[in-house]
Amino acid sequence: MRRGDRGQIRIIEAFLAVVVIFSSLAISTNLTMTSHSVKRTDLESVGLQVMLKLDSEGKLANYVVSGDWSVLGKAIALVLPEGVCFNLSVYDNQLQRLNPDSISNGSFTSEDVAFVEYICTTRTSVFQCYILRLQLGLVVS
Amino acid sequence: MRKCHKSFRADKSGQLLIVAALAIAVLISSTTMYVYELSQKTGSVKSFSVGDSILALKQETNNAVMSSLVNVSNGGEAAVLSANLNELSFTVSRLRYSGMFRLDFALLNDSPYDSGIWISWNTQGTGISGAYANLTLHTNGETEETTTHYTINTTTVLALNGSYIALSGEEKLVSLTLKLDKDGESAAVRDCALFYDDGGGWLYVNTSENLSVFDFGNGTYFFSFVVTTASNQLSVIAQVHDLRGVYVEASTTCSN
Repeated sequence: MRRGDRGQIRIIEAFLAVVVIFSSLAISTNLTMTSHSVKRTDLESVGLQVMLKLDSEGKLANYVVSGDWSVLGKAIALVLPEGVCFNLSVYDNQLQRLNPDSISNGSFTSEDVAFVEYICTTRTSVFQCYILRLQLGLVVS
Repeated sequence: MRKCHKSFRADKSGQLLIVAALAIAVLISSTTMYVYELSQKTGSVKSFSVGDSILALKQETNNAVMSSLVNVSNGGEAAVLSANLNELSFTVSRLRYSGMFRLDFALLNDSPYDSGIWISWNTQGTGISGAYANLTLHTNGETEETTTHYTINTTTVLALNGSYIALSGEEKLVSLTLKLDKDGESAAVRDCALFYDDGGGWLYVNTSENLSVFDFGNGTYFFSFVVTTASNQLSVIAQVHDLRGVYVEASTTCSN
């Protein structure tokens, strides 16, 4: 009977050890996923802030209406924080792409890519709506 | 004696196991709470992003209303406001990646508004160009659904008053004060044209009438010019665009 008791205790200990190991694995996986999603959401927020800043000054619609894509790209690069790369596509409200060439400041090297969609409208007497799709990524050095 | 000692050790081992189990339970609970708090923080960042989207769409709605007012005040039809908001609503429905949005609107039709537009350019020295729309933005995000109600109400108000001093013969030195307000705040004039009625029709006031202008820098402008007319009641019209391009005009009668 005493030998049997010892065996039961070992089984309980082993079971507890397994529970501890598996729970620590589960927690560490959750922590990793959380940290990734925060980074991507931060990028989304940065992208929206950039669009809002350019749009509040009325410049965004002016660049789009004039089709001055290189100036638009430079303006976005100027407002974005250092170490963030972007790729922008401009569409009319029928989803026809307006910029023939890519508007970007380099290629994406990071797996963390955020996607921001922004509506831009004109303030002049002829009202026009555009959809801007901005991809953002962190430059990995 | 030996039997009693062994029995005591076995009891002690059981107590240690309970303590160890409790400690592990506390560790797991605290880790779970920590992970839960982290996930709450992630949620708040996401909702901030949705808040930004709503802010952006409000700005575009404001642009749509402003563009409509520019159009209507410069001779366009009042239906332009409804058409522009419909176009914006359609564009909003085409967003695919930042959550599902739906924009509904209702234009104010209570007097003095008609289809959300208020144009009142009277002869009592006041001119008003305004637009008013109630909007509802439905957001269907990954984790939450929100409904935001807001109003866009924009007006440009022109106040004009004046008088004249009789000079020699039929010459009169006219003094006009013009004040422009945009949404209740002083606003600058982009361009202004003045006309007076000489009895036979409206004549444009230009430099040949010794026109002089003084800008007070707070949306108030002082004009003076000399006209030749036999009439003792001098009607004057000011036609103004504000910096947004909204047109407004007002007329007044100057007396000695």
